[in-house]
Amino acid sequence: MIQINRLVKRYGKTEALKGLTLEIEKGTVFGFVGPNGAGKSTTMAILATLLEPTSGQAYVGGYEVTKQPREVRRLIGYMPDFFGVYDNLTAEEYLDFYGANYDIPAQERRQIIPQLLELVNLSHKRDAYVDSLSRGMKQRLGLARCLVHNPEVLILDEPASGLDPRARIELREILKELRDMGKTIIISSHILPELAEMCDVIGIIEEGSLVAFGRVDEIYAKMQEKRVLRIRLLDRVEEAMTRLREVPTVSGVTREGNWVVAGFTGNDEQQVELLRELAVAGLPVAAFNEAQGNLEEIFLEITKGVGS
Amino acid sequence: MNLLQRLRNPVLVNEWKLRMRTRRSPWIITFYLLVLGGVTLTFIYLMTGGGGHYNPNRSRELFMVLSILQLAMICFVVPGLTAGVISGERERQTLSILLTTNISATKLIVGKWLASLSFMTFLVFATIPLYAIVFLYGGISPAQLLKVFGFYLITMLGLGSVGVLISTLIKRTGIATVLSYAVVFGYAAGTSILAEVIREFIRYQRRVYYSTGAPMPLWPDLLHSINPLFGMLGIFNEGPVQDLRRVISNRFSLVSVDPFWLYVLFLAFVTVVCLALAVYLIKPVRPRLRKAAGEE
Ligand SMILES: Nc1ncnc2c1ncn2[C@@H]1O[C@H](COP(=O)(O)OP(=O)(O)O)[C@@H](O)[C@H]1O
Ligand SMILES: [Mg+2]
Repeated sequence: MIQINRLVKRYGKTEALKGLTLEIEKGTVFGFVGPNGAGKSTTMAILATLLEPTSGQAYVGGYEVTKQPREVRRLIGYMPDFFGVYDNLTAEEYLDFYGANYDIPAQERRQIIPQLLELVNLSHKRDAYVDSLSRGMKQRLGLARCLVHNPEVLILDEPASGLDPRARIELREILKELRDMGKTIIISSHILPELAEMCDVIGIIEEGSLVAFGRVDEIYAKMQEKRVLRIRLLDRVEEAMTRLREVPTVSGVTREGNWVVAGFTGNDEQQVELLRELAVAGLPVAAFNEAQGNLEEIFLEITKGVGS
Repeated sequence: MNLLQRLRNPVLVNEWKLRMRTRRSPWIITFYLLVLGGVTLTFIYLMTGGGGHYNPNRSRELFMVLSILQLAMICFVVPGLTAGVISGERERQTLSILLTTNISATKLIVGKWLASLSFMTFLVFATIPLYAIVFLYGGISPAQLLKVFGFYLITMLGLGSVGVLISTLIKRTGIATVLSYAVVFGYAAGTSILAEVIREFIRYQRRVYYSTGAPMPLWPDLLHSINPLFGMLGIFNEGPVQDLRRVISNRFSLVSVDPFWLYVLFLAFVTVVCLALAVYLIKPVRPRLRKAAGEE
């Protein structure tokens, strides 16, 4: 449904996207995670036909975003990270206005709008002025607005930021409903756990490139995957190193005195197996430790903002 | 049916809806008519000395004063009305959403442009009865009355399109407003100042080269004819523009050009250019430009 191919975006000297490549299949809920300034909003604005990439291509439903923006716009519902509303419009009129902008006939709009308000739990606020709504309600109304033309793809830029926990839960419930409706959803956040449970696939972006991509469980596994093993031997250090180099999940074997330090990308079971092999070979293993690896650091970086 | 659907402009409709909501509108109309009506009736009273007899010449003067007052009002208000239409939407963070909907850039610009001017147009046309009263005292032809209102309309549309273009170009409403006023006043004063400078320069040259016999070129007067004040005076056969009509018909004996239409033509041209530019500039992604760059 969405293909991003070596996308580069420069703002003057800063390179916000450095050749981002990404593919999202139809019906997937894709979580786009990365620290502030990683390039999530930039990517989403390009997909929403609001920003011209410096180079590279992005396709939505097979349409190139810069060449066929009109076709792309029909397919997407985009919610920016910050958006304003018109004062002096009620929730219903607000949706009606955007419906009219999509050339939906008035009669049809009258049918759709109550359904949309129902979907986002705002039926009781139908006649309330938009600027009197709470932040969470505005966010949900914005979500309803994205849906007026029944788009196949939703692009939601940090919809949960600035919401209190209750509002987040409500938002999550609505997103689940939308997922069940078969929509392709891209949702960004700088907090991984916030997205984990409602996404099928997650991509982690940092400084304009994708550093991890995959199903949620795979990502979590990967988090634990790349670790650094530190093994202390009483003797036969060189022999242990030779053996370790033969193991496919082990890389970068170096020696620090009696310690052997190596990168390890296997899972827990493989780690147990590795230790056993060393023992079976009669190597005098005195200590077998693991240190935290690269992705874990990224994860920590990303989750720093949880409290804020 | 299809045409109707094409002409339907949600932005325009929405702006009207919002406009109706504000309680101010009826008060502004009332206040404006009261002030202008007060001025007119006082004049008429003084003119007729409270008695029955009147002078068509004085009535014509009053009509001119009224016309120019209202023209000045238009020049003062239109930049303020239009300079915020796009930048305001940008500042309110509603523009990006609007740009991702299916509405075309043309509809968006035209809708915003007409919406910002519609109340003003209404206000101006609400003063027709006042003009009619003065008109009844004589000294003014029906054609002149029509031209005055045509003049207002094209001036509002033209200056309004300049404001919309500046509002699209400049991100901040404050700066866009200042710039719009500068451009409108620059245009109102600049055209005539330039015309006089050119005329003086030509005269000076002729004195130097002893060629005083040659007829004066047309364009100082052409410049005057696109000036709002002198264009308006031209409708009443006053001011420098009047010479233009005579000179043109003398020199090109077949064509007789009414300077009024020169003004209309010029402002129509300005309107089309400004709106087309604004439509082009508001598009965040411009396919044609990109294609051309890619083909190099
Ligand atoms: N309009 C802009 N002008 C200049 N730099 C920008 C602009 N928008 C974003 N950036 C820069 O691009 C990078 C990516 O920003 P953004 O896409 O907003 O990241 P995210 O949404 O992941 O927080 C940041 O370094 C940011 O400072
Ligand atoms: Mg962002």
